[in-house]
Amino acid sequence: MPVNYIPRRFSVIRDKDLCINCGCCVRQCSNECHCFAGDGKTVLSRSDECVACHRCVDLCPTGALRIEKYVCDYRENANWTPQYQQQICRQAETGGVLLSGMGTPKPYPVYWDKILLNASQVTNPSIDPLREPMEIRTILGRKPEKLTVEKKGKSTVDMPPQVILETPIMFSAMSFGSISLNAQKSLAMAAKELGTLFNVGEGGLHPELEPFTDRAIVQVASGRFGVHSDYLNNSRFVEIKIGQGAKPGIGGHLPGEKVSVEVSDARMIPEGSDAISPAPHHDIYSIEDLRQLIWAIKQATGNKKPVSVKIAAVHNVAAIVSGCARAGADIVAIDGFRGGTGAAPERIRDNVGIPIELALAAADQRLRDEGIRSRISLVAAGSFRCSADIVKAIALGADACYCASAPLIAMGCHMCRTCNTGKCNWGIATQRPELTKRLNPDIMYKRVVNLINAWNHEIKEIMGGMGINSVDSLRGNRLMLRGIGLNEKELEILGIKHAGE
Amino acid sequence: MKRIYAKEELCVNCRLCEVYCKTAHSLSKDVLTANKYEEPAPVSRVTVYGDKYISAALNCRHCDDPKCVKACITGAMTKDKATGIVYVNEDKCIGCMTCLAVCPYGCIKEGKTAVKCDLCRNEDEPACVKNCPNHALVYTDLGGENE
Amino acid sequence: MKYVIIGASAAGLACALQIRKEDKDGEITVLTKENYLPYSRPSISYYLKGVVKENNMYLRKPSFYAQNNINIVTGAEVKSIDREAKTVKAGRKVYPYDKLCLCTGSKPFVPPMKNVEGKSNALTFLDLDSSKAIKAKAGKSTRAVVIGAGLIGMKAAEGLSKICESVDVVELAPRVLPSILDEKSAKSVKKFLETEGHIRFHLGQTVTEAKSKGDRITSVILKNGKELACDLLILAVGVRPETALAEKAGIEVNRGIITDPGTMRTSDENIYAAGDCAVSVDMLDGSKRVIALWPNAVNQGTAAGSQMAGGCIAIEKSYSVNAIDFYGLRICTCGLINAQGDRYTDKIIREGESYKRLIFEGSRLVGYVLINSSANAGIYTSLIETKADISALRGNILDTPGPFMFDRAEREIRMKGALPL
Repeated sequence: MPVNYIPRRFSVIRDKDLCINCGCCVRQCSNECHCFAGDGKTVLSRSDECVACHRCVDLCPTGALRIEKYVCDYRENANWTPQYQQQICRQAETGGVLLSGMGTPKPYPVYWDKILLNASQVTNPSIDPLREPMEIRTILGRKPEKLTVEKKGKSTVDMPPQVILETPIMFSAMSFGSISLNAQKSLAMAAKELGTLFNVGEGGLHPELEPFTDRAIVQVASGRFGVHSDYLNNSRFVEIKIGQGAKPGIGGHLPGEKVSVEVSDARMIPEGSDAISPAPHHDIYSIEDLRQLIWAIKQATGNKKPVSVKIAAVHNVAAIVSGCARAGADIVAIDGFRGGTGAAPERIRDNVGIPIELALAAADQRLRDEGIRSRISLVAAGSFRCSADIVKAIALGADACYCASAPLIAMGCHMCRTCNTGKCNWGIATQRPELTKRLNPDIMYKRVVNLINAWNHEIKEIMGGMGINSVDSLRGNRLMLRGIGLNEKELEILGIKHAGE
Repeated sequence: MKRIYAKEELCVNCRLCEVYCKTAHSLSKDVLTANKYEEPAPVSRVTVYGDKYISAALNCRHCDDPKCVKACITGAMTKDKATGIVYVNEDKCIGCMTCLAVCPYGCIKEGKTAVKCDLCRNEDEPACVKNCPNHALVYTDLGGENE
Repeated sequence: MKYVIIGASAAGLACALQIRKEDKDGEITVLTKENYLPYSRPSISYYLKGVVKENNMYLRKPSFYAQNNINIVTGAEVKSIDREAKTVKAGRKVYPYDKLCLCTGSKPFVPPMKNVEGKSNALTFLDLDSSKAIKAKAGKSTRAVVIGAGLIGMKAAEGLSKICESVDVVELAPRVLPSILDEKSAKSVKKFLETEGHIRFHLGQTVTEAKSKGDRITSVILKNGKELACDLLILAVGVRPETALAEKAGIEVNRGIITDPGTMRTSDENIYAAGDCAVSVDMLDGSKRVIALWPNAVNQGTAAGSQMAGGCIAIEKSYSVNAIDFYGLRICTCGLINAQGDRYTDKIIREGESYKRLIFEGSRLVGYVLINSSANAGIYTSLIETKADISALRGNILDTPGPFMFDRAEREIRMKGALPL
């Protein structure tokens, strides 16, 4: 290319006093940002393709490398930012839709950071989680309207199918294809050890995950990849994916580079072809159609498993959730606009959808108002960065939370957002065998387990601080929250008071 | 006896094992000094062969019936009766490299004296095994013969 | 059981060690005419060079022999074997045996030259004593002449070049190191040795006579008439197997003691032979010859010892393998390096200072000559020894050999001993 319209994003800075020319960085970078000089002895860096994934930085034995933002100044312009200018250049070159990975990085308000938590002081004293039992077990599924018991206290109600989780945290949908088998296996192994579930995503179920099907949530998405009766029955529950927070209104997207032989087998599509799921399910054009599909799945699974519907958080989300509940869903998952993805059109990811905080609060309130809150379990998704976010979500009404980006970060992801290229240096968002082998499930699943255990512990500490000892007492307990720096409308939608009130 | 075995399916060709082997067999024992400033430069006893698609680290197999011990013309190469480790007595070694010419694995390196893996005799875990980022090297006793 | 071993070098010691391994109680007596406990013969050239000290040349600590009940008798030259009485005589002592092993090694071959024999400054170079004598006689002003540019001659020349004023090397063959180098590599090696060692070569020449004053040689005359000043003459033309004792005792000898190639037993069922004195069968071309190399002697000594003690170790494969260096130039050779005939093909690669020649017979590797390119040479050796089919290997065989020459299944065996992980 004779003219480079876009300067590189990052520079690799090598400290020559520390570099031992071992060449580890040369061999580890799939973007070929490092090489040996002509003499074969000195290592040089060419940062043209650097995406700041930090693989070289983290493996360098002497810490000789660092990544710096490459600043090539444009004339100051608050409107025509360098980013917008460069995106136009890329489209002028390719004529294509801009794709990107992971959740939107745009500076929209993060409501978690504007919500504060309560703690006990004098009245209703704190509970010490080291000395008192703390219940964070969560049970998902439709709850009966009324509980009747016989003389000895045994329930006489026919319970719909329930799912017991040892923690309110589940692993959100990441398909085989968008991530590697090793990454999925790590999540499966972690889910097993933690007593929670992992969502298989819309890529079908790889045969090596068969030992973990009792921990798997299988997805029926618009492309219906890999959906057959065994697939549905070998799961803990089934999720109908109507939408995804990162790209509401359109279907899943797996670029052809990531469709290897194994992916093509699992999805039942030709190798190397883009796997683009249709926007709607072509057999769901109304809420009644959804109801039919839910009942069809329940029949196919012998009524033994709850059926979940996953929707993206959009305008009117509350009404949609209510509709799903009435259509027979046992669980509804709402995916906020910060949700991650393996590949999505950048414009849709950055501009479509609403925050999960608002969507969750609105949906929970609507269901309560309509008196049908107990018909479904609400699962929230869309960027939980720490245990405090989870506590706040539960307080806003979530029964459980879906996490995906966080466990990936535990496995090495550095949020470089180039998942769609399939060259993930950490072996996560790629199918190239020379890269996927870098993710050793025996090492990585332990890191995920550590992360969730740490969060569970923190949740217990926070709850104890609030004076409650069960996650049931936290659920929907808006009184435990106060807003800060929020306007009247936001407070109203969230259903919380302002700090100081 | 415990030996080091490499798992091809986990080796990512980073060659950090070589860096840390040099460090462990250096005077300074510091990764920067050993690999950059020390003279004479320490030699790695383990070598990674292959490329980014398939690779594995190879070190001395500490054979039960070592060819190198038989070939050694000075008696410098011996197999320790207690630990089973095959090692070079550097005072006796004259650097003829006959051992190198008979080792069927290609594990002996040239130096002033013969250079080869000694399973980091004074440590409880060999440096390469400890520092492999992907756990591709295991230090274990497989129980069988190895020649 | 009484075991007697004549000779205490590579084969003799290996034999004694193996017998003790297999027979805890038998009486082992090792008779050596030298005045030293077993030491590393090849190290004498490094001793001359000053790289190794005498006390580091011994193969075992002195206490080892007592600890393992091996009786080494030094200064005991065996003069005769009485096969009927099953005894050997050294000096005035008689040693009875049940099993006897002859490890008498090599003796230097001195070609006929006028006026050389008996001169005080004409020395051979085969054992520690001769190495010490040479060291004593060599000084800064010495002009040394070495007859023979083979392994022994060149090692002597290398050692002397560091001490003496000048070194001349006279060799009958048209190239240096004729037994291990081929035509193509010898030229560059000669140049290197001339430059590094300031050695003057006289190839295709012999010494016909020496001029002397009293019992000291003052100069030598070559076949072409040239006269070389000479203060120290080293006779390193070659070696012959030391078979006098065997011949005298009526044991079958033909340019070396004839033995069963597997068990090392001679024509007498109670007598074995091992090392430089015994004939080996080269597995590569079936030829019967003496392979006078350390690893070969150790293998044969071990097999003989095992057989004598009633064990079952036998020689399966004999071939020559050699590693040597001169002034930092490393030479490794193995197998049939001077093979002639249409059956044999070769592949050569030259890169700057390094040279690699591989010799093939059909699709089998049968020999190699590596100069400054000996990385992982042992893998080539194993290909030769196992008669592997080269066409089944991956990559370019001229590259540095490594485990990925082999396919996955073979690698499993090589790297793990074929045990599942």
